[in-house]
Amino acid sequence: MPPPETAFTGNDRPVVTILSRLLRRLVSTLLVLFGVSLLIFLIARVIPGDPARIALGPRASEEQVEAMRETLHLNEPIIVQYAFFLGDLLRADLGISLYSNRPVMTDIAEYLPATLELVFLAGFLMVSLGLPLGALSARYRDRWPDDLIRLLTLLSVSAPSFVWAVGMVLAFSFAIPLFPIAGRISETIDIQVVTGFLLVDTIVAGRPDAFVSALHHVILPAFALSLSGIGQAARLTRTNMIATYEQPHVEMARAYGFSERDISRRYAFKPSLIPSLTVIGLDFAALLGNAFLVEVIFAWPGISRYGVGVILQKDLNAIVGTVLIISATFLIANIVVDLLVSVINPRIRLSEHGK
Amino acid sequence: MRRTVAILTGNPLSLLGMGLVSFVILAAALADVIAPYPGHAGAVVDFANANRPPGADYWLGTDVVGRDVLSRILYAYRVALGLGLVVLSIAPPIGVAVGLMAGYIGGWTDYVLMRITEVFLSIPPLVLALAIMGVMEPTLLNAMLAVTAMWWPWYARLVYNITRGEKVEGYVLAAEIIGASKAHVMFREILPNCVPAIVTKMTLDVGFVIIIASSLSFLGLGVQAPTPDLGSMVSEGTRYLPDSWWLTVFPGLAILVAVFGFNLIGDVLRDVLEPD
Amino acid sequence: MPADRILEVCDLRLAFRNWAGTTEVLHGIDLAIAKGERVALVGESGSGKSVTSRIVLGTMQDVPGVQVAGKVRFDGTDLAEMTFKERRRLRGREISMIFQDPTMALNPVFRIGALFHEVQKRRDPTIRRDAACARAAEILREVAIEDAERVLDSYAFQLSGGMNQRVMIGMALINRPRLLLADEPGTALDVTVQSQTLELMRHMVAQYGTSLLFVSHNLGTVREFADRIYVMYRGNIVERGPTAAIFNNPRHPYTRALLAAIPRLTGGGIPEIAERSEAFLEPMFIHPEVTE
Repeated sequence: MPPPETAFTGNDRPVVTILSRLLRRLVSTLLVLFGVSLLIFLIARVIPGDPARIALGPRASEEQVEAMRETLHLNEPIIVQYAFFLGDLLRADLGISLYSNRPVMTDIAEYLPATLELVFLAGFLMVSLGLPLGALSARYRDRWPDDLIRLLTLLSVSAPSFVWAVGMVLAFSFAIPLFPIAGRISETIDIQVVTGFLLVDTIVAGRPDAFVSALHHVILPAFALSLSGIGQAARLTRTNMIATYEQPHVEMARAYGFSERDISRRYAFKPSLIPSLTVIGLDFAALLGNAFLVEVIFAWPGISRYGVGVILQKDLNAIVGTVLIISATFLIANIVVDLLVSVINPRIRLSEHGK
Repeated sequence: MRRTVAILTGNPLSLLGMGLVSFVILAAALADVIAPYPGHAGAVVDFANANRPPGADYWLGTDVVGRDVLSRILYAYRVALGLGLVVLSIAPPIGVAVGLMAGYIGGWTDYVLMRITEVFLSIPPLVLALAIMGVMEPTLLNAMLAVTAMWWPWYARLVYNITRGEKVEGYVLAAEIIGASKAHVMFREILPNCVPAIVTKMTLDVGFVIIIASSLSFLGLGVQAPTPDLGSMVSEGTRYLPDSWWLTVFPGLAILVAVFGFNLIGDVLRDVLEPD
Repeated sequence: MPADRILEVCDLRLAFRNWAGTTEVLHGIDLAIAKGERVALVGESGSGKSVTSRIVLGTMQDVPGVQVAGKVRFDGTDLAEMTFKERRRLRGREISMIFQDPTMALNPVFRIGALFHEVQKRRDPTIRRDAACARAAEILREVAIEDAERVLDSYAFQLSGGMNQRVMIGMALINRPRLLLADEPGTALDVTVQSQTLELMRHMVAQYGTSLLFVSHNLGTVREFADRIYVMYRGNIVERGPTAAIFNNPRHPYTRALLAAIPRLTGGGIPEIAERSEAFLEPMFIHPEVTE
């Protein structure tokens, strides 16, 4: 008999591993955010024309403009200007919006929740419909369900979300009036704003009727927003799952006579989730950007109208602030996805150094 | 190569894709000849024929100032394809150079270049383009610049990942041992191995550039009136929903047809060129 | 057909059909394994030995574009007469398999214990996790794994290749299958680890009385292992006979080439072997069976 074997590498503290990974992710995210702030700052400063003059309008006197230049530190070298900007940023001060005459932070806090509500619901639809569709496609590879799903998902990624939004409004608000045309909630309902997320606030207020109304209003825009994402997620899941189907452990599962259903779910789908989820996290960026388009069609009172408004007004503080906050949201969402992946992936959860 | 052509012409989906794409390219190239009302591409007003539904004289109807929707779509294709051509002849070379250098040279070059790439990638693409358009005048040229600025990092990351894999392959080591220059190894040895992935991505990207550009003009930040653009046509049309549905539906369909065509080809190309 | 045969393959042909036409890769294979017998199928890569084991397993028949002709009888029943479900019923219960790379063949996102549980559910669908793990721990100790509980609580990537190979052997035998297929087992492992685990496998198969079909490209590996050897070349069996006869008196040119390719400790340089030779296509040589 050969000698017994005891070679073993392991780690009994998965929670510590995940926490240290989270910490490292946070640090690198902060670095990236710092880079984003620098990039946005530079973009904002290459603007032709004098920001002080733009802020005050053409009728302001030279003295007023000079005083404004002094307050905005525009007479300092660009690196000093950036230092001032960073200092304000660290105090969560994004400056005053010229568009609304209010702190940019206040504006964003008012408009962002509506956008996030839409985006989160769209993200939920993207994952809960896209992953199963992709899995179905992979399981019936090159047979008719696969052909059908591939064609539909390719169509879904072939148009910008405002086109889908228009199509859905025409189909489900006008032709078959199933859903409201615009707005977040029925106008007769008055809800105390707590979180800004109406789906949450209506529950907090104990108003099921209002919750249903809010849900009724958000479904169509969220679906229009998620349609391309569903297609992307399904296509990605299919690709990764087909690659997993070629792995030896699937052949072993066949050799042991496991059912195709079991193989598809436990041997192909679950391992393929690890690469899929990371990329789906990146698709979240598209949802955040496309929310601008969908909100316009549904008159959704989110960040879109504000964002486009401040851009047309060349309101620098507000532009920089909006881009920074949206990027931060995107990066945070990706940290969450990364955590999810490390929970699913034992290789990360249990490895000594998180590599 | 011959096999690629054989598969592309033998697959019904890619045939459909090539059909759609040639339709779009022909429409753009021959707009002057085939458009029923070539003058309507500009700032023409014909209130007598305003807001006509699709019919014999105006196949796809007319807009609120009486311009033929079909003619404007044909000219809008010209703008969209031109934009795609410019963006995809500038962005990929920049991204490829960055990705090759970061991946092959490594060290600080890698660190600095890839952190910059990462910064660009962590701003949602449309939002970055919006921000760039925000500080510039909304013109066609600036729209191209904005889209190009957000596009190159994707190529940088794609090529970077391939380069990191190829760097340790035998043929690269062999070239290094016989003393080939860094530039030779990067552009003559590694780059050819990135070409299939780049070609596939570029095909798929024609569609995405059309989507992003139309999104910018949909928000009023891209191509400006009176130049016809599919995004701004949809945007103007939404004010007249649902009665004048043809003002939004046809430009929207026009985007779908063009992008779907390029995506079909790209999809089949990917199966052929990157079999794994 | 003698009743004591667990597997009998007659005139097995396999062809792949694609857009270019049909390619035949097996040109009529005859092969038989008696109950408790250990048989090796040896040949170079591409000779068709791996697909033969997949056909016996019954998975090859379901691949699109594959045409299988000839008879494969498992314990007297023709696989071709079984439905897809009936063939699947055999797998994991009556027939089991060991793969080339043990670490890759174990599902990366489940613990070894969970995998053992799944495998045992093939025989007893109602078995509980703790009962399954208790049985698994028993068999792991039989394959000389001492800290069995800890292994059951691990993922494949946490264990060494040799450890995973032992897990694989235990898993393949836990349902007491009557036929074990081993496709190049442990070729991905270090030579010392490979020979240790092969020795374990031999020991276990003998103890359980399991019939074995051992597929390998290496005649040297199977010498200690097999009662009989089939030598395969480009979709045909070219020589068959008891192990001793093949080694002491190889008759077919291809078998001689294979034997010459086994590295010898005594040195003598690398033998010169033709990659292709007309002689390799000579008809099959059958050594007389040794009657016991």
